[in-house]
Amino acid sequence: MGMDNQAFIYRMFSKFYNENIDRIETPKSIENREFGFTIFKENVMIRHKGFMRAEDLKEFIRKTVPSNVYYSTAYYIMPEAKMDEKGWLGSDLFFDIDADHMPTECNKIHDTWTCEKCGLTSNGVTPKKCPRCGSESFDEKTWPCEKCLEAAKVETIKLIDMLTGDLGFSISEIKCSFSGHRGYHIQVESEEILKLDSTARKEIVDYVTGTGIDAIFHGLELINYGEARILVGPNLDDFGWRGRAARGTYEFLLKATAEDLKRLGLKSRVINEILANKNEILESWKTSGPWNMVRGLGLNGWRKIIQRGISLQSAKIDTVVTVDIHRLIRLPGTLHGKTGLLKVSFPASEIEAFDPLKEAVAFKGGEAKIYVEEAPKFRLGDEDFGPFKKQTVSLPLSAAIFLLCKDAGEVIDSNV
Amino acid sequence: MEHSILTLSDIAKYPFIPEASEYVKRLDFRIENLLDENYAPILDRAEKRIIDALTTNPPKVSFNPREYSEDIEIISFPVAIVLVSALANEYVKKRYALAEARRAYELLKEESEEKIVEVAKKFGWRIRFPGEKIGLVKFDFALNFIDYLRNISALSHEKDWKLVNRPVLRGEVHLSRHDVARLLQEEAQRYIEAKIDPKARSLIPEKIIERLEKLRQAYLDKMRESPAESLASVGVVSDAFPPCIRQLYEAAQSGRHIPHVGRFTLTSFLIKIGMNQDIIVDLFRKSSDFNERMTRYQIEHIAGERGSGTKYTPPKCDTLQTHGLCPGMDDLCKRIKHPLTYYLRRTRSLKRKAK
Ligand SMILES: [Zn+2]
Ligand SMILES: [Zn+2]
Repeated sequence: MGMDNQAFIYRMFSKFYNENIDRIETPKSIENREFGFTIFKENVMIRHKGFMRAEDLKEFIRKTVPSNVYYSTAYYIMPEAKMDEKGWLGSDLFFDIDADHMPTECNKIHDTWTCEKCGLTSNGVTPKKCPRCGSESFDEKTWPCEKCLEAAKVETIKLIDMLTGDLGFSISEIKCSFSGHRGYHIQVESEEILKLDSTARKEIVDYVTGTGIDAIFHGLELINYGEARILVGPNLDDFGWRGRAARGTYEFLLKATAEDLKRLGLKSRVINEILANKNEILESWKTSGPWNMVRGLGLNGWRKIIQRGISLQSAKIDTVVTVDIHRLIRLPGTLHGKTGLLKVSFPASEIEAFDPLKEAVAFKGGEAKIYVEEAPKFRLGDEDFGPFKKQTVSLPLSAAIFLLCKDAGEVIDSNV
Repeated sequence: MEHSILTLSDIAKYPFIPEASEYVKRLDFRIENLLDENYAPILDRAEKRIIDALTTNPPKVSFNPREYSEDIEIISFPVAIVLVSALANEYVKKRYALAEARRAYELLKEESEEKIVEVAKKFGWRIRFPGEKIGLVKFDFALNFIDYLRNISALSHEKDWKLVNRPVLRGEVHLSRHDVARLLQEEAQRYIEAKIDPKARSLIPEKIIERLEKLRQAYLDKMRESPAESLASVGVVSDAFPPCIRQLYEAAQSGRHIPHVGRFTLTSFLIKIGMNQDIIVDLFRKSSDFNERMTRYQIEHIAGERGSGTKYTPPKCDTLQTHGLCPGMDDLCKRIKHPLTYYLRRTRSLKRKAK
């Protein structure tokens, strides 16, 4: 065994903070925020820290070199007091979009899990229960892959659209950042939302995730038309969830297979008619919509189809995080202890072009020789690496630290 | 206030708006005036407001402009608030606030758009009436979504009040006249509840307190008891609480913050010893983050009426110690391992003593 991994990572983090301390973004009203840190050696969370000035915080980080730095979305009178004595003043509105919470094209085959009880190891999404022994605790190794990050970005864009178009926040009020691992953070620091309680935040969560939504409140209804009863529904260009429901339905029908429609509980005659008239149905959105085109498909059938469309349009966020008004979140401009990547903020308007695996690279220059146990193919900056299995390689410092932080190898030598 | 379109009769309809208290101030009315024979109609009307709240179902204070002059209507409202405050009964407070708010709702529904907006703005609402058509439905009003969220916490278990089922555009929720009136009812109810302060009792002349006691006697059956009084009637012996539960119970009563584990411990304990769920809900009412729906949900969950159906038991003594919820042991504590055991033993020995 060569150098001690942890000592090496610590030394590199320390060097980074010494040279880049001003990349740390001081949160608004720093004196009212609670800070938390994890330390390399003990790997325990130190909470309830407070700082009066940005310089104090930076000095602390430079001296302590934490493996992770967090701060509260909440503002407190006394951030260092015990939880129930802090004196809550309000909280920013915060959203966490993480690839862990969404189905992805790569099916997360790059991720591995190991049962802590019986040692069973496999690839893909971690099961709820170990298929061999039934245990529920696992050791997980997850990787930030291009596809996963792209999926998270798509959800983030949907969320930003709802926050601006529907809820009326200006794009400049929305702080957007890459988490440094597998997702994005969205933070709204608006005077208006500070005092919202968990119940009100839950309503916002339900709004962006489309939870509890029903098409009958968004234009789907039977009306009298002369002698007849006809069905009307939302249009593609309607605003808010109304339009989203229509666009989601269009998107769903465009790709829907017989199997997809069967899962909605539709009768096979109806399914056949939908599939046979797919083009006409899609075409009909230009005029009055498809609501009366399929015989045997009435209000309740459409309601189920629209529901599928809605789930395509909803933003998959971690619902627990937004409702928690005492949450600690990673501080922008600090390093992620599991990747050595930076949490970086960027203007929400530039998300489409944002390349997380480039912008979040913290360590520039330098090389390290490491032994890699196992790692999937990954990209950092403009360079691809791996896959590696039981081999010794010389890598740019950023890639080496990334693998070491992931606990996928051992450091042998370094020129830094 | 020159540019306000609200007339004296409007103020009489909505006596909780600032114009009403300014009007009362201008009249130089003081609570001592009530001892004066000339003010008897005001005291009578104030009392009637409270009686209305207690005797109608659903509760609603009457509106009868032919019977009561505007002056009486306007002044009797703050007087009724003082009287309800002095009654110091949580149930009457809630019921009275609801009854006044429901009266306002019924009246608001019939008002012009301009008047509804005027009243809403008294509560700081950001509201306008664009009269836009969305699909086939015409929505008269557009309300800032934060103002909307502040007022639906008691309503959002109904699907149609959920934000996600409303037309929302650029920060505004589009609403019908009926909906705006209903949300104003919520706002008014909270506002009136906040005005009711038990400390007001000390300001009231003795003679009026006497009259209030008569009112209390006359409607005793209508005023449900407060949690402390009713404990005994359902067989709960608060004297037998172990020190940990007593501490949590007192914290809840005085509205102090209780961490999650503490709430869970207290609630599961009270359910186990057979306390009525409504009384447990009332117990948490003073907490600053009280939310009836959430509280009820949690209680039902712990009682096993929701979710997995598990009926939860309070944690053992050593778990409570780990969470810092054990304030120190007394003699009995040293001989038991569970707060429920403590309670059972103590109730038994108290009963023996009573005999
Ligand atoms: Zn196992
Ligand atoms: Zn992936």
